[in-house]
Amino acid sequence: MTDRPSILVPVRVLEGESIPDGVPELLADTNVVLLGYHVIPDQTAAGQARLQFEDRANRRLAEFRELFEEAGATVETRLVFTHDGQQTIDRTIYEQDCLAVLAPNATSDVEDVLVAVRGTVGADRLTRVVAGVFGDRDVTVTLYHVVGEGETEEDGETLLDGLVERLVGLGVDEDRLETRVEHDGNAPDAIVGAADDYDAVVMGETDPSLATYVFGLPADQVADRFLGPVLVVQRERPDDGDDGA
Amino acid sequence: MSNEPTDAGRGGENVAGEAPETDAGTVTDETTEHDDTQLERTIGLTGGLAIGVGTMIGAGIFVFPGLAAENAGLAATLSFAIGGVVALLVALPTSELATAMPRSGGGYYFVSRGMGTAYGAIVGLGLWLGLMFASAFYLVGLGHYASAVLAELGVSLGFSPVIATGLVFGVVLTAVSIGGTENTSAVQNVVVGVLLVVLTVFLSYGVLDAVGVFGRETAPETFFSQGYFPVLSTAALVFTSYLGFAQVATVAGEIKEPSRNLPLAMVGSVVVVTVFYVVTIFVATSAFGAERLGQFGETAMVEVARDLLGTPGAIAILGAGLLATFSSANASILSASRSVYALSRDALLPRKASEVNLRYGTPHVALLAAGGPIVVLVATGQVELLAEVASFLHLVMYGLMCVTLVVLRRRDPEWYDPSFEVPGYPVVPVLGALASFALVAFMQPASIGVGVVVMAAAYGWYRYYAGSVDLEGAI
Repeated sequence: MTDRPSILVPVRVLEGESIPDGVPELLADTNVVLLGYHVIPDQTAAGQARLQFEDRANRRLAEFRELFEEAGATVETRLVFTHDGQQTIDRTIYEQDCLAVLAPNATSDVEDVLVAVRGTVGADRLTRVVAGVFGDRDVTVTLYHVVGEGETEEDGETLLDGLVERLVGLGVDEDRLETRVEHDGNAPDAIVGAADDYDAVVMGETDPSLATYVFGLPADQVADRFLGPVLVVQRERPDDGDDGA
Repeated sequence: MSNEPTDAGRGGENVAGEAPETDAGTVTDETTEHDDTQLERTIGLTGGLAIGVGTMIGAGIFVFPGLAAENAGLAATLSFAIGGVVALLVALPTSELATAMPRSGGGYYFVSRGMGTAYGAIVGLGLWLGLMFASAFYLVGLGHYASAVLAELGVSLGFSPVIATGLVFGVVLTAVSIGGTENTSAVQNVVVGVLLVVLTVFLSYGVLDAVGVFGRETAPETFFSQGYFPVLSTAALVFTSYLGFAQVATVAGEIKEPSRNLPLAMVGSVVVVTVFYVVTIFVATSAFGAERLGQFGETAMVEVARDLLGTPGAIAILGAGLLATFSSANASILSASRSVYALSRDALLPRKASEVNLRYGTPHVALLAAGGPIVVLVATGQVELLAEVASFLHLVMYGLMCVTLVVLRRRDPEWYDPSFEVPGYPVVPVLGALASFALVAFMQPASIGVGVVVMAAAYGWYRYYAGSVDLEGAI
């Protein structure tokens, strides 16, 4: 389990959400942290929901666990009753040291993967996820960068070449790596547009800003509009364990 | 902080053959853990303070000033201060108990674990019913504000709309709670914030006015115009304005970092509202004199605002009064439903009572069990009686919580490991218990009578329904 990247798969376990086709195969080489959660309204105590729903939720989780294990993944499961789903997901990412979160959508055999690269920040975690999930498979990985303001095409190519080098260093076959630089202004739109030709997307989490507050996080926008699975690589979490949230 | 669950499992059964849920789980800063299942803690310090302040501030400022001034004169200020001191004497021991047992159910949980099922049942069922009386009281207050709004608009209905609006709001609140409004706690935080801002502005102006900055004549008068005894009986009456901090304890199982946030939220909300109450009464009595203030009744603050700031002031206070009484009633209904859950988890009420509705995810039986009786109580329209019975039932719980603390400290069971320790032990809890029980003695005989009947009924129910259930030390 040591070199397998931990990937969080959150499932609203009691609302009929299930694991879409192709997802267990996609994560076959990873350590899956399967988070079954149930969001309850403020009027209800979490313990109250547990008394009533725990058995049913655990049965569902056991079924899901089996799907992932059959595909070859190692699996840890958790069941959480919460008033705030996002808080629960964030906490689990941190506690279980997950490199990425999967926004699960159905997929067939994954052959082409789009990896959206924003910059050098977080590149280390991004490459670990790509190498861990796709390194040992027959998959073409396209590193993709949208040129921002004050940045030339060469800058973009240098950035991506650096990543190719890292991935090769992590044991990924160089023949399966491609790079692509675009000029389209709005990154989320460009990624969604480009993603149409691919089976899955890997992208980084962005820091919340005013724009993300208004339009939603880019990763969420992509996950909402792209039809296949999206792996959202997480920022480094502070190490002290107390962020005062 | 983490207190390992001890092997509870003594249990027993109720008449229906249901045993208490014994797996209490392990407490962490962010969750309560039962093996692989976690219960997320989602209420922070702000949320905790909002529950405490939001529950309390409605009554003390928007309903009682007129009534209190009528009973005690200018010394009503002292009555509120006494109430605040008693509340603080209880809030400190409650904080210690809550950090040792940060679970849903609050006072009921502490007393049942510390002193056994019989006391627990009286407190738990008493708390549930006490919250209904409190909710009904807030709703009648809300009715007074709603009818003052109608009067302001010049609408005349030909009958008093006080009880009718109280009833309507009672039904609406219950329905909305069952229908599962999202983010009720976020709304509560905003409401409390708005209230505090409005009140701070209003009271600052009022204090400046009262001390003569604006050069107006104020009404000087004798402090103890009604004598000394009414000061204490008024303190007993207005104690309903201090019931909210215990509601923080009923959601103790959902508070993040309980060892830090529970004491801060409980003690903090008592201190905040005490200051606001004392200043409010001071401003109100300075503006009008106690006697005239008393004639204005439940919505006296609107007249005070009109006198100080004209019609805009009156409108602001009317709006604030509606918001405050509504949020108090809402918070009490939700707490009542939490108490039902805690009781049914421990087999003192049928398990069915805490059942969660599949469609909305809300405990519809528990909410109806709170909302139904509330509507009946509102129909009586007896503001003072409702308030005093609510206070009576809470004061019994407060007294017993203080006793529980002393008992637990003396017995010192292995599982009792509070991270917050009450300062001035044993003086503070002993005084808290004595003051709580003493305040009961100053209530009207009718209120005491109703309270005693409710407690006797609670004990009778326990003997009949769950006589063999043993909860002591079942942590």
